[in-house]
Amino acid sequence: MNSQAMKSFEHLEGLSEAIFKRLYQQPATALAVFRRMLPNLAKTFVMAMLFNPDPVPVSSLEAFVRPDQNRLKEEAFGKLRQLYIVTERQGTFALDATFKVELRKALTGGGSPGSFGLPCDTEDKNRVDISFLDRYAAEQWESILHFMVGNETQSSQRPSEGVVRLLLHGKLMEQNRASGTVITQLGFSFLLQEVNSQVWTLLLLYLDMAEQLRMDPVDILHFLFLLGSLELGQDYDMKSLTPTQKGMLEDLRDYGIVYQRKSSSRRFYPTRLATGLTSEIRSLRSPAATLANATPGNDENGFLIIETNYHSPLQIAVLNLFARLISRFPNLVTARITRESIRQAIGKGITAEQIIDYMTANAHPQLRKNSPVLPPTVVDQIRLWQIEGERMKVTSGYLFKEFATNAEFNAVCKYADDIGVLVWIDKNKGMLFVSKHEQIADYIRKRAQSNR
Amino acid sequence: MADSDEDFVLSSSGDDRPKARGAGGGGGGGGGAAGSSRRSTRKSKRADGAPAPGATKREKWEDIQRSWDNVVEGADGSIAGTVIGLLEATKRKRLLRDTTPIQRGIIRHLVLILDLSSAMLEKDLRPTRFLLTLRYARDFVTEYFEQNPISQLSIIGMHDGLALRISDMGGNPADHLTALQEKAFTVEPKGASSLQNALEMGRAELFHTPTHGTREILLIFGALSSSDPGDIHDTINSLIEDRIQVRIVGLAAQVAVCRELVMKTNDGDDSAYGVILDEGHYRELMMAATTPPVTKTEEKSVPSLLMMGFPSRTVEKHESLCSCHSNLTKGGYICPRCTAKVCFLPTECPCCGLTLILSTHLARSYHHLFPLKNWVEVPWSEAHTSTHCWSCQSPFPTNQSQTSSIKIKIRNPSTTAATATASRSNGATTTSTAPKNDHQQQQQQPPQPPTQRYACTDCKTHFCIDCDIFTHESLHNCPGCQSLSEERVKARANMWPPSIGDGTADAAGEPTSSSMRTQVAEATKMLENSKIAPGSSMEVEN
Amino acid sequence: MDKVDGTEHYNFKAPADLATLQVIILDTNPLAWATFEKSSSLSFPAALSQLLIFANAHLAFSQSNRCAVIANHIDGVHFLSPADPGTDHRDPGEADLTPEDLKEIANQNASKYRVFRLLEDEVRASYRRLIKNTTPEAVMACPNSSYLAGALSAALTYINRICFGGTGGRSSGVPGDEKSKVNSAGGKVDETGRTMHAKILVVSVTPDPANQYIPVMNSIFAAQRLKVPIDVCKLRDSTVFLQQAADATGGVYMEPEHPQGLIQYLMMGFLPDHLARQSLILPTKVDVDFRAACFCHKKVLDIGFVCSVCLSIFCEPPQGAVCSTCQVKLDVTSLENIGKPVVLPPKKKKKKKAIDSLPESGVASAAESPVPTE
Repeated sequence: MNSQAMKSFEHLEGLSEAIFKRLYQQPATALAVFRRMLPNLAKTFVMAMLFNPDPVPVSSLEAFVRPDQNRLKEEAFGKLRQLYIVTERQGTFALDATFKVELRKALTGGGSPGSFGLPCDTEDKNRVDISFLDRYAAEQWESILHFMVGNETQSSQRPSEGVVRLLLHGKLMEQNRASGTVITQLGFSFLLQEVNSQVWTLLLLYLDMAEQLRMDPVDILHFLFLLGSLELGQDYDMKSLTPTQKGMLEDLRDYGIVYQRKSSSRRFYPTRLATGLTSEIRSLRSPAATLANATPGNDENGFLIIETNYHSPLQIAVLNLFARLISRFPNLVTARITRESIRQAIGKGITAEQIIDYMTANAHPQLRKNSPVLPPTVVDQIRLWQIEGERMKVTSGYLFKEFATNAEFNAVCKYADDIGVLVWIDKNKGMLFVSKHEQIADYIRKRAQSNR
Repeated sequence: MADSDEDFVLSSSGDDRPKARGAGGGGGGGGGAAGSSRRSTRKSKRADGAPAPGATKREKWEDIQRSWDNVVEGADGSIAGTVIGLLEATKRKRLLRDTTPIQRGIIRHLVLILDLSSAMLEKDLRPTRFLLTLRYARDFVTEYFEQNPISQLSIIGMHDGLALRISDMGGNPADHLTALQEKAFTVEPKGASSLQNALEMGRAELFHTPTHGTREILLIFGALSSSDPGDIHDTINSLIEDRIQVRIVGLAAQVAVCRELVMKTNDGDDSAYGVILDEGHYRELMMAATTPPVTKTEEKSVPSLLMMGFPSRTVEKHESLCSCHSNLTKGGYICPRCTAKVCFLPTECPCCGLTLILSTHLARSYHHLFPLKNWVEVPWSEAHTSTHCWSCQSPFPTNQSQTSSIKIKIRNPSTTAATATASRSNGATTTSTAPKNDHQQQQQQPPQPPTQRYACTDCKTHFCIDCDIFTHESLHNCPGCQSLSEERVKARANMWPPSIGDGTADAAGEPTSSSMRTQVAEATKMLENSKIAPGSSMEVEN
Repeated sequence: MDKVDGTEHYNFKAPADLATLQVIILDTNPLAWATFEKSSSLSFPAALSQLLIFANAHLAFSQSNRCAVIANHIDGVHFLSPADPGTDHRDPGEADLTPEDLKEIANQNASKYRVFRLLEDEVRASYRRLIKNTTPEAVMACPNSSYLAGALSAALTYINRICFGGTGGRSSGVPGDEKSKVNSAGGKVDETGRTMHAKILVVSVTPDPANQYIPVMNSIFAAQRLKVPIDVCKLRDSTVFLQQAADATGGVYMEPEHPQGLIQYLMMGFLPDHLARQSLILPTKVDVDFRAACFCHKKVLDIGFVCSVCLSIFCEPPQGAVCSTCQVKLDVTSLENIGKPVVLPPKKKKKKKAIDSLPESGVASAAESPVPTE
């Protein structure tokens, strides 16, 4: 869903100003940031100011917005400031100069050649078509996911060392002396995400690692956003890439994001995973996009029969995380969501939201006709089972009791409340529970001294 | 025995006694002796709707419709083509209507009478008849004012043997909607319905309306009986005297007194009485009342010249009171005669009584006076001239074999359209004659599949079914006629007889279509001169 | 308890989440543009480029946004993008290019975002084709021709197909139909079957086509029903039709004073979409003239006379009380007293007798208003 993809982009918001300023030096990046990271009103403001040579006074912008929509206006401006797109100075707003120039270039097409990918001008002898690219991407991605789940008996090979290192670095898997690399809780929630978000999560991890490998993160981001604007099925030349970006190509090949026939070939093809990087459209629900998906049938309270046409063992494995598999036919798999299976999943760290999102994202087209997609009883029941485990909340702290006088008790209570450490109080028994004790102890001592 | 059987089959309202039938003037049979009148009306009834006389009479229950016959497999074994054909035919059925420009009553005064008796608690319409009726009444009010902005409406309910006034005669839809919300939704249907009380109250509402407008009553009748304090026939006679026309939508079954009411007030035409089949049909019948009614005879409404004001909107610096609600507002419309400020248009100025409207309100009703001609289906012989719908660019099927090869056996809409247009205008285009030939050939050859193209008879542009519906229901102009200059229409016409058109505008074909063009021109002239057609002087150059 | 609250299931995706289709209706009458250029120094190619930047900006907002361009030419309406599929697709401008030129173009293309480039190329190629097929004589024959009604109709049918799937914004009205409001592609749909928002921008340099009043009004009402705002950028020749169009559909009407800065007007005033417009106050004309013109003299009227049959408007009762358009004899008796003051006929003097019959003038004086005594 969009919310998960947005979270990946939110990660980018934490970058420093210097990085942003360098980031905006490419039109493709400026366009991608504009499109994906700004709320609607912010986009409108940027466009309104784009072709205005002078800074805009704050009063004009306030007159532009309806008086009752101030909250949205503040939100928009906050975002713009956070991304260093807009600077405020002496009561006027101005767009960052680089951003302005590059976005204009994006709109008018005045950028340097290759700023949106340089297509190859010679014919490819071994041309590949889109279906090949899709298959390639699917294979590569699934091999990674299979590896995570532990199904290595498939024909797909083990992913490359770089990938494994990445997964370990990102705590999606961990080294276990007993059984080699094993998936972690984070890994489980990763599995349940939608493909576009999965891709972004991995790429952000890559970005993290890049600093260790002494690759320039700005270059990486440039290339990623550039990939997002390329055309599927068109081969592109490597001439216009920087050395860092050329190095990235190999890693990206492992993930299935680009296809290169050999490491030495001059051209590369972006796959659907690449072109979907900056798109909001859910182009692939799963790497093998043609598979039909879950159809919940009738439901009694808590018991649900899912009919799926899953072929892929990957999806069966994912399903196994939170449902109990009952039977398996060549074209049909039935599983049951029960209390135990959900509790098991929660125990592994998967949240009810992730389960629900996964099921909604992979719903059968026939199921999609319902609005809402999943039966509400089912959704509610999963949530209920989740909070069953949250009946008790543990807070550690300190108990004060046996106060000398009531007055002292009340005074201490008030003080604890004022400083915000008060957790529980019982007036009848004269007992007090706080999370931090040092300040209370000091206070009592001071009172005792002053009383003396 | 045979006699009584025939009676049973042919008469729709079985209780009718011959006298009543004679008096109602059902099919043209006059009075006279009971036996002969029965026979004459029977004959006339037969001539009306039944198949060829002399053929063996089928009892009504023998005339079953086999719906599975309609679904036939196409050449490739799938029924997709048939489904498309069926869908298109359903869509088209809704569209075809009489489109001669004739005089209609544009300034209308309508009284909507809703049945709020206990019969409305039936659940045969979801959720109950009562709630559905109210929902449709809301839609009706909105649609009515959209189609007739200078008209007025009043709503009455029949509740517990009394008539309940829900809203007064007024021209502001918001008033009626709030009145419905407050008074109609909160009332519980109870008791019996009283036709006479409601009709009398309706008559009182319409008493003061001026003569140049129409006077109509739309009655939604869900019960099967009426409990009246007096003689309903007196009420009917007074309605006739006041020239009020009544339309009835029956929810349960046909009721004799309703039929009589409708026939008497509409000059013997009982088509204004409809009984619903299902919810969709109900909505259709109700919305049919939003179209202005055809003016039947000269005496019904006296055409007169009305004085109207066209105010402009002003925005003031300081708030002032409006004359209609005494609210403080900063803007409004100023009456040109007495400079009073009013909030909404159209309305009557509260100070001097002048009707105030905007020119757009008048413009809304123009499409009733100049209706758009129906489009005809294009046969395969001309289908190759277009690959896409001109106005929305959606692709047409190019190959005959792609669609189902068996035609649907319901009444072929294109032929009715063709015959209708052919009789009215010399429909000279070959498109109108070709489907007719098809229909005749239907008995011999396998019928043609639908080309899914519909052509305007004037500009010969091909459109798809969605554009057809949209244009005839909402837009009311043909995009082709509006967008193509004379030369382009000629160039398009020059593409017939069929030649491989490369589509460029300067394809110089032989002007074999000159005869066609002159015929079309004649047809248009005839249309313009036809019965009270407020014709082309509205548009300065045509 | 909030955690278990399932009511959020039942909410529809807000209609604001939908993408927008922008339809641009562009006047391409060469003579009108030439006249305009003389007075404002904005030539048609420059204006076209600025419009294309505006279209690119619209597409930049979201991947699902779309754009269509319709030309309002002297001989009618032509679709510039998406190009009319029935016509020849060869770009006349490419016929005489050398291989080096082609390579140069390919290089330039590399610096344009593909989606923008496709739109620009298609529009320019279609326009070149259009101009190639236009002769100067044709232009001189009808200097101010404008097929505004046709362009609006074509735009609305296109919108009907793209944004409403052909349903025309009608709800079927039958209860229970609302449940299945997901279209076959699994896309989001709100209760009127709408999958996308739409808006129309009319860029016009020609005056109002007076003979197209009724079709233009019909198009305006259809746009109102579909809730499609019609924005108007009037570069020359103030009009009434388009003002009413913008006002009735909730669009923006602007007559730029400095047309060289067209792009800024476009970006600020016409670009905001449905969602943004709810939060913004956009510059538009407020005092729209809704008055009618009479059919006989074309005078603008405040008060007029309307025939109840054919709704034609007159400034004074016509000669012989016969309506000139529908030839119907009109009843003007109710209008005969207009202009004359209402005066009661003087009453016969019967009062004196009545007063004389009263006794004593004391009573008479009592009948008068009391006079204060000292």
